[in-house]
Amino acid sequence: MDINLKGVVVIVGNYGSGKTEVAVNLGIKRKQDGIDVLLADLDLVNPYFRIREARSYLSKMGIDVILPPRKYLHADLPILSPKVGGLIRNPATLSILDAGGDGVGTIVLAALADMFKDRPVDMLQVINPFRPFTADVNGCLVMRERIEAASRLKVTGLIGNAHLLDDTTTADVLQGYELVTGVSRASGLPIAFITAAAGLTQEIRAAGVTCPMLPIERQLTMPWKKAAEADG
Amino acid sequence: MAKVLMKGNEAIGEAAIRAGCLNYFAYPITPQSEVAEYLARRLPEEGGVFLQGESEVAVSYMIFGASGCGERVMTTSSSPGISLMGEALSYITCGECPAVFVNIVRGGPGLGGILPSQGDYLQATKGGGHGDYRLLVMAPDSVQEAVEMTMAAFPLAEKYRNPVMILGDGLIGQMMEPVEFPEDLAAAPTNKDDWATNGMDTRGSETRNLLKTLYLDPEALNAHNLKLRAKYEKMKAEEVRYKTYNIESDYQALIVSYGTMSRVCRTAIDNFKEEGLEVAMIRPQTVFPFPEAAIHEAAGKDGCKVAVSVEMNMGQMLEDVRLSVLGQCPVEWYGKCGGEVPTPEEVMEAVRSFIGS
Repeated sequence: MDINLKGVVVIVGNYGSGKTEVAVNLGIKRKQDGIDVLLADLDLVNPYFRIREARSYLSKMGIDVILPPRKYLHADLPILSPKVGGLIRNPATLSILDAGGDGVGTIVLAALADMFKDRPVDMLQVINPFRPFTADVNGCLVMRERIEAASRLKVTGLIGNAHLLDDTTTADVLQGYELVTGVSRASGLPIAFITAAAGLTQEIRAAGVTCPMLPIERQLTMPWKKAAEADG
Repeated sequence: MAKVLMKGNEAIGEAAIRAGCLNYFAYPITPQSEVAEYLARRLPEEGGVFLQGESEVAVSYMIFGASGCGERVMTTSSSPGISLMGEALSYITCGECPAVFVNIVRGGPGLGGILPSQGDYLQATKGGGHGDYRLLVMAPDSVQEAVEMTMAAFPLAEKYRNPVMILGDGLIGQMMEPVEFPEDLAAAPTNKDDWATNGMDTRGSETRNLLKTLYLDPEALNAHNLKLRAKYEKMKAEEVRYKTYNIESDYQALIVSYGTMSRVCRTAIDNFKEEGLEVAMIRPQTVFPFPEAAIHEAAGKDGCKVAVSVEMNMGQMLEDVRLSVLGQCPVEWYGKCGGEVPTPEEVMEAVRSFIGS
């Protein structure tokens, strides 16, 4: 099964669930599929590790990124670029909105509620069982409620993003798959896809996972490490 | 406990709980606000208290009060907020109360910027507040070490009846890494009856515990300061912690670097090795007390042409490195002080030029 997401896709989840890394990798994957991709950084609450840090690589890949003006990139102010409205009104083939964490980080979406009205929007909740507060089905459902209340949008699907950075094993990803399956069952929400480090995807398929899978090449890395260069 | 993926700020909050600290007072400031956010949620679950003060000044005296009652207590802030706490740090130290202060450092001076920095080295190790006092200061280089140092900080603060500071640059607070919380670092209850103003009836004592910060009699103040000094000398004798890297090689340069900056240096040293050039590193884990003896010995090794202090500031640790090397070889500085973390390549270029000159 493949990932065929189009239109406006909003990525949400708790702090550190991996929204930005998922958004960046999803953008790169769909760009490689040959469609137009636009990424918007809506994270107004997190000071570091936002899409803006991968901006030069993304633009090299031909992916447009909507950011606050350069001089305000580290302003510690909640700046929402007016271009985001245009993106929602006239979306690219795939427009990805990377929101901030928890309910707090998605309040910005409520400010855009008028623009979302009567437009189809996919809002996908990223779930990593190794993060505090979302280790079980109930924690994930509570997170979903908080996000929906703050954003005034409905979560429409789930992304399983189980990982412990470089320490991730196949068993960890499978544990995450089990959790996201449980959340799907309890909520009735479909699993959009799960993610796995590019090196683990074969083993995970071999373990019987059939849902769509997004291989992750990490782009938001530490200064002492190099980001992965995607082919293409 | 199994591994979890945590931001440094969250992990520091959880580590405090695991160490038995159920009192946390703070005021939000980037890049450490997640500690407050995390503990606001977690502490009530544990029967603890989080209170946001109206300012860092208020918070720092709430710490003094709680500590004076014998409670394990912590605050976290970032550079400008720690400056505001400088007065209380001096008072708490004078009153000989244990407390844990965490500084997730951002760029300065002034309001500076929100990106990672090590610009508060001098403030943490030499003062910040007024008078004759020191803090025991630990500088983690990973989220795991931030957990372990935070857990260790409480018993150390109680051992010396002195504030302990965790000095982390912004990256330590913001980055995520897998962590485990070691059971064996859970701190035993404080022997607080010796000093806490928790009531003579409470502790079944006939003597008052008195905590004070005013010594008008010069002889009494002198005696008190010498008593504090003796504690700092004991810290120097007993608490120095550091790690070495590639120190067994025949190195031509010795890097001294701490915190996340040292991880960039490690990558630089690995890259140098591939090129056939050996460089070693000493990473202070405590920046007060400073690993003077280890650096002195390492800089004196045959073939070591230069010692380089690599820091995310304008060279604040440089003086301590010079006082450790004591002229055995030149001591240089390399770093950036705007919030950008130097790359391994930039560190290599600097070290190469120092070896060459």
